[in-house]
Amino acid sequence: MRVFLSLTALYLKSFYNLPGKRAPGAKTTPKDVFKALGIGLLALFVVGQMGALFIATNMAMYEALAPAGLQGLVLLNMAVLATVLTLAVGFLTALSTYFLNDMELQFLSMPIKPKALLGAKFAAVYVAEAVVSIFFIASAVIIFGIKEAPHPLMYLWGILAGMLLPMPALALSYLIQIPLMGIARFLKNKQTILFIGGILGLAMALGFNLYFQSTLSRLGDPAWLARHVAGPDSLLAKLGSAYPPALFTWRALSDPASPQALTSMALMALMCMAGPALVVFFLSDAYAKSLVGFNESQIKKLGAAGANAFIQAKLRRGPVFLSLVKREINLMNREPVYLLNGPFLIVLGPIIIGILMIAQKDAFLSDPDLAGVLALLRNGGGAILAGLAGAFLGSGTSISCTALSRDAKALPFLKSLPLSAGRFMLAKLAHGLVFALFGSIMGAGLSGYALRLSASDMAAALIVAIGLSFLLNLGGLWLDTANPRIKWDNPMAALKQNPNSVIAILGAMGIAGASGYAAFALGLSTWVFAFWFGILPLLAFALLLFPYPRYAAKRIAALEA
Amino acid sequence: MIELSAITKTYAKSAVKAVDSLSLTIKNGEIFGFLGPNGAGKTTTIKVVTGVLKADCGAVRIDGVDLAAAPLDAKRRIGYVSDNPELFARLKAAEYLNFVADVYGVGSVERQERIARYTALFGIKDVLSASIGSFSHGMKQKLLISASLVHDPDNWLLDEPMVGLDPKSAFSLKEIMRERAAAGKTVFFSTHVMEVAEKLCDRLAIINKGAIVFNGTLAELRTSQGVDDSLEKLFLELVDDSEEATA
Ligand SMILES: Nc1ncnc2c1ncn2[C@@H]1O[C@H](COP(=O)(O)OP(=O)(O)OP(=O)(O)O)[C@@H](O)[C@H]1O
Ligand SMILES: [Mg+2]
Repeated sequence: MRVFLSLTALYLKSFYNLPGKRAPGAKTTPKDVFKALGIGLLALFVVGQMGALFIATNMAMYEALAPAGLQGLVLLNMAVLATVLTLAVGFLTALSTYFLNDMELQFLSMPIKPKALLGAKFAAVYVAEAVVSIFFIASAVIIFGIKEAPHPLMYLWGILAGMLLPMPALALSYLIQIPLMGIARFLKNKQTILFIGGILGLAMALGFNLYFQSTLSRLGDPAWLARHVAGPDSLLAKLGSAYPPALFTWRALSDPASPQALTSMALMALMCMAGPALVVFFLSDAYAKSLVGFNESQIKKLGAAGANAFIQAKLRRGPVFLSLVKREINLMNREPVYLLNGPFLIVLGPIIIGILMIAQKDAFLSDPDLAGVLALLRNGGGAILAGLAGAFLGSGTSISCTALSRDAKALPFLKSLPLSAGRFMLAKLAHGLVFALFGSIMGAGLSGYALRLSASDMAAALIVAIGLSFLLNLGGLWLDTANPRIKWDNPMAALKQNPNSVIAILGAMGIAGASGYAAFALGLSTWVFAFWFGILPLLAFALLLFPYPRYAAKRIAALEA
Repeated sequence: MIELSAITKTYAKSAVKAVDSLSLTIKNGEIFGFLGPNGAGKTTTIKVVTGVLKADCGAVRIDGVDLAAAPLDAKRRIGYVSDNPELFARLKAAEYLNFVADVYGVGSVERQERIARYTALFGIKDVLSASIGSFSHGMKQKLLISASLVHDPDNWLLDEPMVGLDPKSAFSLKEIMRERAAAGKTVFFSTHVMEVAEKLCDRLAIINKGAIVFNGTLAELRTSQGVDDSLEKLFLELVDDSEEATA
């Protein structure tokens, strides 16, 4: 048990990158406090956004169902969705943490029982699941609580359900993954797994998005409601009855003070906890065995003649700056976590928007509220929209705002080279700008094409996209230079758990939103808009570019990495 | 030639001086060994000389060029093998070598010739097209050593270069060191292997707790300690003595 607990603690720290204990005597500076406050605010903001989506969906559903007295179905929908949601998130987390790093091979050499190993990993992944699930359930239960004033026991059942529902979902994930890893050798590769996980994650995010969007837009249609949500033959009812824990949750929450509620919850607890218990009991040995061989990779060897030919062909002099930029691009694009969370956005963004547009086309075009917007788009507003879409794709790649953090391990090497720090930091900027340009063209070009913009409007849109995304990239790089995340174990932390990337993305969204609003509110003509939000940012970019290398050199000289 | 005068370095997050007013001169044509217990300040010193860390005070001169005043010129004269070969798992060996050679401005012909020579010597020529992540620890170390020689530097600094090398490669490395010193170049390396230091070094320095406790030839060390012992015994006595002295 002790082993299990300390392993769980270790996994939790390593997954979520929790700070370790402070060194004795280390003082908390105002900067630390400020940092913690900032991160807290950002987290609140992100969580708030997600909560708002959940609450909006549940609220709309409640209001559509309440007139028919079917509001209880909100709770069933909640239980089913909480299961599906945790299954999706759980499957991905389980996959991406299946094999962490070589540290785990060392565990195999220690006197640790496989049950403790799998149990600890299960527990650590479960914590995140439970948070998501409780959060989701809370968004439904709170609406219900305000509208219906039910017995207070409902809240207790709600929390319990939130804690229990992820268990079988996660157990199922391991039930699929452990035998799969045992059989399929090609899966035993961190990179392959990350890629598969990334693609699955995108597909799932897209699916949920579509689901929420279409539910929201169709709740007004009673026939659709009857078919999918209400009624004994509805999809929801079938799903609910096929999956007892969801059904039990629904029963307990609908009539929280009755004895049936208690028995329902008890039965559900038994069923849900059986999942992890069975998985840990039966699959632990297979899990431990499947960890072996994860760090293997094949190595290509050249023959003697081949090696000489290779040296002749490939080892050639190139311009230093290009060499620096190429290194940046390779290091980013070959790391799956970086690629998927970074430059891939430029391809992914348009795909998501495209699918959403196609799925929502009818609802979109027939909505009377949107008729005005459409008219606005046709009269010059299209250039603004296309420009901002390009600016967002060009600045949302997290390339510049994590550039120094991602390279933290190589900093001593870079500093030993006969290169000024300003120079290699400018190479990082160039890397960001290449993709900013690509994103601008994709974003502005595709939306311009969809909106059938004229050539001059298209040019204006491109200027705005490039101006804003260049400036935002430089801003992001400046941010990461001032406050890089230097200490990390897992490359993921340098990007995904880097406050700079959150700030940069929110900043990009904020600036796109604000400038769009300003343009529409002030009724700016296309080229006036292009001046204020395209040419002016470009000038600012050029102006800020001058002092940057000196600043970077000073900052980097002071870093003791 | 490498000259360090009164180098002091305190890490920002620590109160102790990792290196305390350290002065050393490594002359041309010399193989210079840098010995000392774990945490004595060897890596810190080497990082200050290579420009990775900034000293609090003191000066470093490489071939007479002041590192603080003309950092790029000084660094161009150095080849550096760091103590950590775990770098750039995602790059291919050839990409890494090309990058380093580009940064030091080495022409195509020279780089091909030198890389072919050193990678053949260390037995990693056949894996040049492979990604560094698939290398063993020793293979990474050999790649780092080959890369540090791609611009044929006049001053070669190596931080524990023998770690992880097989006997044949360790022998090759020592041969290269001798060959470079014979050509009038400077070789400065840290090590924990006493036999290597004993056989290879023209001069050596022993550092303990950030300060030099001995600097000279092995013969001088024997004279100063008044015994005709192996370097190992002399080292242990010296480091032990200084510990008592500070205790
Ligand atoms: N990044 C760092 N931050 C703070 N202190 C450090 C850092 N690196 C080293 N130190 C401290 O500086 C001192 C000297 O360390 P250094 O790495 O130079 O020793 P070393 O002689 O190379 O040891 P080893 O033989 O173990 O490699 C030690 O007390 C160490 O704790
Ligand atoms: Mg060291």
